[in-house]
Amino acid sequence: MEKASPNQTNQIWALVEEGLFEYPIADNQVPALLANRCTNCGKTFFPKRPLCPYCFDKGELEEIRLDRRGIIYACTVIHRNSPTGIIAPYAYGYVDIPVNKVRVFSLFEGSDPSSFTTGQEVELVVEPIKVDNQGKQIIGYKFKHIS
Amino acid sequence: MKDVFIIGVGMTQFGKHTDRSLRDLGREACLNALRDAGVTPKKIEAGYCGNALAPAIQGETGVGQNVFWEVGINEIPIVNVENACASGSTALREGWMAIAGGFYDMVIVAGVEKTVMPKGAMLDVGAAELETKLGDVFPGQFALIAQKHMERYGTTREQLAKVSVKNHFNGSLNPYAQFQKQFTVEEVLNSPVVADPLTLFSCCPNSDGAAALILCSKKKAQKMKVRAVRIAASILTSGTYNNQRDITGWEIEKRAAEGAYQMASLGPKDIDLVEVHDAFTISEIIHYEDLGLCAPGEGGRLIGEGATELSGRIPVNPSGGLLAKGHPVGASGVAQVVEIVWQLRGEAGKRQIKKARVGLAQIMGGYKEGDTRACTIHILVKD
Repeated sequence: MEKASPNQTNQIWALVEEGLFEYPIADNQVPALLANRCTNCGKTFFPKRPLCPYCFDKGELEEIRLDRRGIIYACTVIHRNSPTGIIAPYAYGYVDIPVNKVRVFSLFEGSDPSSFTTGQEVELVVEPIKVDNQGKQIIGYKFKHIS
Repeated sequence: MKDVFIIGVGMTQFGKHTDRSLRDLGREACLNALRDAGVTPKKIEAGYCGNALAPAIQGETGVGQNVFWEVGINEIPIVNVENACASGSTALREGWMAIAGGFYDMVIVAGVEKTVMPKGAMLDVGAAELETKLGDVFPGQFALIAQKHMERYGTTREQLAKVSVKNHFNGSLNPYAQFQKQFTVEEVLNSPVVADPLTLFSCCPNSDGAAALILCSKKKAQKMKVRAVRIAASILTSGTYNNQRDITGWEIEKRAAEGAYQMASLGPKDIDLVEVHDAFTISEIIHYEDLGLCAPGEGGRLIGEGATELSGRIPVNPSGGLLAKGHPVGASGVAQVVEIVWQLRGEAGKRQIKKARVGLAQIMGGYKEGDTRACTIHILVKD
């Protein structure tokens, strides 16, 4: 579901999906993905789930912000534009977040998509991932090299 | 549980059928299967039709009723089945269960699909999934798996390419295959990169086509004195969706294989030929491992030494597989079984495997949270 809101430059933007991260980001905040964790088994879910599939009624889910830093588990470079409008070449893959013991599917950000390899440390950014066919900026998340 | 036999098979050639409708393709496959079995439509007690994408691509629902009425089948229970790439094989399992459970003595199973897209367009499915919104595409998911398999086990790009070379060779011997052309390892490696390390000829095409089967009980098969092939195992399961799983193998497939071997009282060494879901070259290599044709990590070596070629120890995808025969999503699982029946009856022409008695068909469907939604395995035996 894409929700449109005006920002300062009067452009229209929309979130790639509701509830994945806080946006807009406050001045004193670092970007963070929003997840939840089962109080019974301790498993973390991103995106958030309405109930723990392992514990059902025995566990409650508490909301958490994921650590910003992760390690690349796997990555590839796509050489065709995606049907959803991401322009090739672009890199994506899985990032393990060691602090939260969860794996996240993510785009990688940077001018050189082939520069990402397994085991590299990366950090989260929240920014536009594409412009939709009405000229709206679609805000998503990516991981980038740590500068 | 009662024994279930396949007594008739049929399919269309897979490929681009721009001017033909789903029901037109379905009719050809169903007629071929009915005639092969020597059965009239009125003998059929239930119908199961696999289709994955007609609601999205053609805006058509209830494909089963459309297709089966084309050949005069009506007034019976008809079930439409969607399980992504495993739609057709799930329809087969539904038909198998109905006879095994004693509900019917004769049913028809079909798989029908049209997915050929305008040139250069990628199939746009799963638009509701977060990964898709973030730019995920099917070849990319399998590229991640390939990268990881290469990293962990030393599987090479050449070994990946050899899967495509083998399957295109087999396809060149199959008049029902979409591609009748052979490729070299160099041609596969030098074709345009889609998602590193997968090149264009490492990916199956989009295809149009249909396939159908006639299933019956032992009682009926004996009375009809037909060339029957027994379904010794039929397994369907779903994924773990374990977010942090090792992506160099599919737990879902290992679990399905274990169940199938147990049900058939057979093991990997008893299998004479295998049809697997080679949507991408890496998939076939991992299926070798998950099905127990070789040890984990040895899949690259198995293709490298030629063991899975037509003349090898355990031929895999004699039909050409999805890579060469084509992949009309909902029809693929049924067409795999058509090929195995032809092989077990000794009717596979230039690609015939000598003394084939036991065949295994494996297909998986859909992507979910880094895992697969569905996996089916069928083991067929010519007694």
